[in-house]
Order: sequence, then structure tokens, then C-alpha cells
Amino acid sequence: MRLAPAALACALAAALLGGCSGGRKSYPNDLPEKNVSVRPALSGVRAVLHIHGVDAQCRTEYLGTLDLDRPSVALGIPADRWSYLVFDFSSSSWLSGSHRMTQETLLRPRAGHRYEIAATYRENIYDVVVREAPPRGQLRPLPLQDFSSCRPR
Amino acid sequence: MTRTWIASAAGVAVVSLASCAVKQPQTAEEFRKVAPGAMFMKTETYEVNRALRDVASTFERRAPGCLKVTVRTVSQTTGSYQNIVTEYTPTVVVGGARAELHVQQLHKTGVLYPSKPPEGGVYIFVADAYPEGAKRTRIQIYGPSRGYDVLHRAVRGWATGDNLGCPDMTKIG
Repeated sequence: MRLAPAALACALAAALLGGCSGGRKSYPNDLPEKNVSVRPALSGVRAVLHIHGVDAQCRTEYLGTLDLDRPSVALGIPADRWSYLVFDFSSSSWLSGSHRMTQETLLRPRAGHRYEIAATYRENIYDVVVREAPPRGQLRPLPLQDFSSCRPR
Repeated sequence: MTRTWIASAAGVAVVSLASCAVKQPQTAEEFRKVAPGAMFMKTETYEVNRALRDVASTFERRAPGCLKVTVRTVSQTTGSYQNIVTEYTPTVVVGGARAELHVQQLHKTGVLYPSKPPEGGVYIFVADAYPEGAKRTRIQIYGPSRGYDVLHRAVRGWATGDNLGCPDMTKIG
């Protein structure tokens, strides 16, 4: 895969912005259709999801962050457009300091489809699994897509 | 990602293996030869109920995303401050006879190497997968005996196919 340096720099800057409390804002989550359901299973860490829009030139725009602090978090992500999702696992303690790990993926939800995302962190191993289901169809796994796979159109 | 802690003995041992030996391993093959007799290193063998091609495919799919990471370690005590930036680089080599996963570690700041480390960093971990019949694979591990448990567990999960999650590399050391 060929890396788009400028696009990646934008994404990383946006991700960092999203990760800093000073630049953090809540994801509006105001789409009527909640097509994505995130199911966190966490042990010893907190997790948030930073959501970025991605335009045709692979430029990102930080849209906001959701706390993954419930068994299931429903959100609406625009269909037929690329979004960049950054799952951010973090922990902090006086003894061990602060840790932060991220797992990212591009996602382009298809209209009428639903998506389930399992975000897990157990025994220092973390994972994000995305599954897609067509209307009245069964879920099937989708591979995570690295930002470098974004191609300007 | 950031981590604030002090490198443990095992982490130091890995650097020591690479830096204090007369000739530090420059390739995965040299690492295989040196690791079994080195302090704080171990070898481990186990079999999994999967075909070699499936194990190799998992290594190829998971290693780049999970193990190509940079970790910053900050330790601060009265009168001292240490900032270590460590890059991890995985390499997967798939051949007819075996599949290999190598992990290299390069301290970009905070650690002095007595001699130039190999391109990509010091070899810290090698997992070799050999076919044992059509649907079984033998895994041979060379790696640190302490401090890298999460890496050992993650690679075992990939080999068995039971857990495809990524190791939290900030927990190493």
C-alpha cells in the first residue's frame, strides 16, 4: 500500500487533536439512523472513539469523540462516505503512569447496512472487530482498513 | 501512545544480549543461534491445530498493524528524567518450509548502543512456524524470558487463531 504522507499527517494530527482533552469535543451523533453499534469489553482501561470525516482528497476532519463507557454505544455514521475511526484505549495510575494505545480503521458504511464493532481490551491485548450486515442479512467480518489505503478520487 | 515507567531487567537484558555480546545478532538466523544460551532469553515450542498457511496468513495480517508501533517511556524521579522512544518493527517471511515472524526493537532515544544495531533494530523475538501434517503447525519461539509475556501470548493467539488481538506494547519490559 502506498502511503499518502500529507493525508496521513492530517489524520495523525487530527487523531492527536482528538486524543487531547483540550481539543476534544463530543460527537454530535445527530443522524436519525444509528447504523453502527459499538460493544466495548474492557478490563483495566478506558476507551473512547474519535470519529473523523474523510473527504475525496483523503483529508480528515475531526468530528468528535464518544465515550465507550456503556455495554453498547449506538452511533450514526454517514452512509456512502468514508469515515476514519480511532479507538483509543488508555489507562493511568500513580504507579504505572499513563498508557495509550490506538486502533484505527477507515469505514464506509453502506446505506441500509448495519455495523457492529467489538472493541476489546483484556489482559493487555486489545482488538477491534468490525462486522457488517445487509438489511435482514447476517453479520460478516470486515477487515480493518489502514488510512494509507485511502486514495484521492 | 505513551508509557511512563522504568525499563525492567528483562528489557535491559535484551539490550545487553545485543550490545554486550562479542558480535550482536545481525540477522534472525544469528538471533536463533545466540538466544538459547543467553541470559533472560528462552525458547519455547508448541503445536497448534491449524495449517501452516493459515498461521502464516494470520502473521501477515496481524503483525504489521499490531507490532509496527512506537512507544515512548518516560521515567521521572527526583533529580532524574529519562525519555526513551522505542520503535518496534515486525517482519514476516513466508516460504514453503516455514513461516517466520521477526520483531526488532530500536531505541531511538535514551539508550546508547555500544555498537551499531542492525537495520531496523535489535532482534528481540522470532517465531518460526513449521508444518506438522496437513492441519497442524509447530511453533518455535525465541524470545525474552521476562517482561515480554504479552508479546508471547499475542503470538500464541495468532498461531492458534483463538485471539487475533494486538499486544499492548506499552506493557513490555
